[in-house]
Amino acid sequence: MKAIWENIFRKGPTDDPILYAIHQVPIFEHLNGKELNEIARLTHERTYKIGESIFKKLAPGEGMYVIIHGSVSIKDPDTDMVFAQLKSGDFFGELALLDEEPRSATAEALEPSKLIGFFRTDLLTLMHRSPELGNKILINLSRVLGERLRQTNTALAEKSS
Amino acid sequence: MNDSSLKIYRLLLFVLIGGLAWAVLPFFASVLVMLIFSFLFTTIFLPSVDSLERKIHSRSLSVIVIIGGTIVGFIWFLGSFATNIGAQIKQFSTKIQQDDFALSLEGLSNKVQSILPSFLTNLIPESDEIIERSQESLSGLFQNMLSLLSATGSLFFIAVMTLIFTIILLVEYHDFKRTLVRFIPNKYLEVGLRLIYNIEQQISKYLRGQLMAAGSVALLSIIGLFILNQFGANMTLIVFIGVIAGFANLIPMVGPFVGMVPAILVALMNNLGSDMALTHQLFGLIPSPFYVLDIIFMFIIVQQIDNNLITPILVGESVGLHPMIVMIVLLIGGTLMGPLGMLFAVPAAGVLKVILHEINFISKNSHLL
Repeated sequence: MKAIWENIFRKGPTDDPILYAIHQVPIFEHLNGKELNEIARLTHERTYKIGESIFKKLAPGEGMYVIIHGSVSIKDPDTDMVFAQLKSGDFFGELALLDEEPRSATAEALEPSKLIGFFRTDLLTLMHRSPELGNKILINLSRVLGERLRQTNTALAEKSS
Repeated sequence: MNDSSLKIYRLLLFVLIGGLAWAVLPFFASVLVMLIFSFLFTTIFLPSVDSLERKIHSRSLSVIVIIGGTIVGFIWFLGSFATNIGAQIKQFSTKIQQDDFALSLEGLSNKVQSILPSFLTNLIPESDEIIERSQESLSGLFQNMLSLLSATGSLFFIAVMTLIFTIILLVEYHDFKRTLVRFIPNKYLEVGLRLIYNIEQQISKYLRGQLMAAGSVALLSIIGLFILNQFGANMTLIVFIGVIAGFANLIPMVGPFVGMVPAILVALMNNLGSDMALTHQLFGLIPSPFYVLDIIFMFIIVQQIDNNLITPILVGESVGLHPMIVMIVLLIGGTLMGPLGMLFAVPAAGVLKVILHEINFISKNSHLL
């Protein structure tokens, strides 16, 4: 049973692993504790076994994942080429928040992992319930995608020169 | 165990569970009805609760304000309706006791006989018989009303339980949804979320569209009845008749005809004994005793405006079912559950359509899950 002072002297969001993970994701940057709590209420906590697929290449994308603990590989199943190995605090699949295009790679758990999923349907619900918060997330998401595009352009320029 | 025997075992298990569910269904039918109603009410009130929560930052308070406001409005409507209908019935019962009632019925019978061709008039009973039958029907109607009162007790219990379920669902809706999602296996998580969202959208769009269409029908009916009054129809309880017609409109195809009944009854009650009403002609051409044809004509115009203008704009392709399918599901719903079944038939068919669409999607893309 919880002691009453645990409620009265509730500590900051960083004590909750889900809130801590969300807090670190750039898409949820500049959000206050209350807004982060609202996001946390919409997310879905999932556990994956070693080798279990989180999503497969070409499957229709529905949303993004944040790793709370464990690690995930992003790879092309056809060539077995690994694009990235992600660990606690990393996120992936955020493009699917905006469109229903098929996934460009497969995500697979490299060890028993705990992830939280934030999906397009959750974002749409949030935009309806709290448009201001929804807009903040969309702006952050645009910034993340813009940054990715800038990095890709730089990498392409370096490769061609 | 090979694949085919596994499939057979699965099928047997499915049939067994289905049979068991069918056997115990009668015991849980009333609870199921309460839950379905609660879910539908939740879907209707959810946007208002969500938007109020955004302003006052308290979900429980938002639910109390929205549900409380609706209950107060509903009780006010019922109370006001009961008072008015009471006065109307009192007035009518005084009228029945007078000789005018028998005279008017006799006049009506003669009128109908003069309009119809001779071979049909033989089929119409004599005026004395009509009076006797009418009085029998009226006493039968009062007996039915008494039995209806005894059923009100259980109806009240169902209403209270539905209200409690609705309040709980509204307060905990988003947490309930998250709990439900927890049971979806990882493999089907994204598809499952999409299915839940699509079902929510389907029901919510349909209900909101239907409620708006019902509101428009109510308003148009009130305007129509008001216009009829300008031509001497002597209609009372106009607002209540309009609201009833609007609500009846929620049942596709059958509802509009149900909506006409109270209007015709009120016209008969108010105009019995009036020679002018008895000899009234629609457009000065077609005999329309007690403005019955005028009322039917007015409701047909309202229906045409609703079907061709309002519903296509407000409801649109929300359910997207072929009219033939709508008729079939209405018949099935009506046979299984009566008027309630008819009310739920179209949204239920819409939900089934979404589920079948997703199952089709899963079976086509199973290699990607």
